[in-house]
Amino acid sequence: MMRRQEAIAALAERRNGAVSVAAMQAIMAWHAAGQGATDHLDALGCMGSASSLGLGIALACPDRKVMALDGDGCVLMQLGTLVTIAAEAPPNFYHFVFENGRYETSGNQLLPGFGKFDFCRMALGAGYRQALGFDDAEALRQALPRVFSSPGPTLIRLGIAPDAPVTPWPDVTMNAQISALRARLQSKMAP
Amino acid sequence: MTIKETLTTRPARGVDAQALLDAIRSVGVTHVLTVPDTHQRTLLALLAETDTPKLITVCTEDEAIAINAGLYIGGARPMLLIQNNGFYACLNTIKAIPLDAGVPTFMLIGEHGRDLTRPSRENAELSVRMLEPTLEIWGVPYYRLEGPEDLGNFERAWRQSQEQGGPVALLVGAPTSESARRQEE
Repeated sequence: MMRRQEAIAALAERRNGAVSVAAMQAIMAWHAAGQGATDHLDALGCMGSASSLGLGIALACPDRKVMALDGDGCVLMQLGTLVTIAAEAPPNFYHFVFENGRYETSGNQLLPGFGKFDFCRMALGAGYRQALGFDDAEALRQALPRVFSSPGPTLIRLGIAPDAPVTPWPDVTMNAQISALRARLQSKMAP
Repeated sequence: MTIKETLTTRPARGVDAQALLDAIRSVGVTHVLTVPDTHQRTLLALLAETDTPKLITVCTEDEAIAINAGLYIGGARPMLLIQNNGFYACLNTIKAIPLDAGVPTFMLIGEHGRDLTRPSRENAELSVRMLEPTLEIWGVPYYRLEGPEDLGNFERAWRQSQEQGGPVALLVGAPTSESARRQEE
């Protein structure tokens, strides 16, 4: 089992200009890794919506890779998103799910059914093109170039250890992030 | 015309589905996100036969709100086609994305279960009579589509959503009718 920060460090290293959308406990870790300033959106106050926000961006911008940094409780809250993403099948969409079996933000309460459900099997059953699981940060880091060079939609389960919740949220509002991201995507600013 | 002035006590009448599709196309909508609505099934049938705009059927209205935002961020011009029960189902997501974040979110909302002979607020069905008060409590502007004469409200509602940001609803009072053009074919 890796720590969230280790997984985040690997994703940050291999991001390579992808647009990112983060949810819950991934948000501050992603910002702390220096990834929140550009081409990024935090899904604030809408638990379960990060992957749908990413899906919309991926459909509108097929030339940009999009990574959703999701939580396990978030995916369970809107499980139908797996089916919708698979139905639209954007090849530029990569769905990372941090799995620690906890509602960490609200105080580390256990998820229902943790240990019984399997996100990779759910994603493949929904129709994702590929699903992979990693519990080791170095293995993740090594695999990411192959992941991003293969067409999505791909779900990548990241087994992480439970941790103390980080409670502050970014100073920037979702509205400001949306304006900035939209302007960049409209102006075709690279990576 | 103000929102209040669009309120009516006349019986709701169906709008031609093709006329509504023409209105959707006239403002340049690129994607229609739907959890299917019984009231708008003839419009949905037309949308299913065309690529312009693209119809995307999703599993929940929460998804529709968030995908709408993602498409908007990417430069598309999306809208939602849902029903009253679906609006109630996604209130938290409406709070977060269209209201708090100010994302233009245009919603065609069918009044499923409406007694067409009575104004929306005088219906016995809770999901019908509570729709306008719920929209008002949440500060979601709305217009009505009570019959063909209200078709101009489509462009008004669309323009308001795009220019002001945030959610705007157009309430579909009666089931959309079969397209007259299609019946002639």
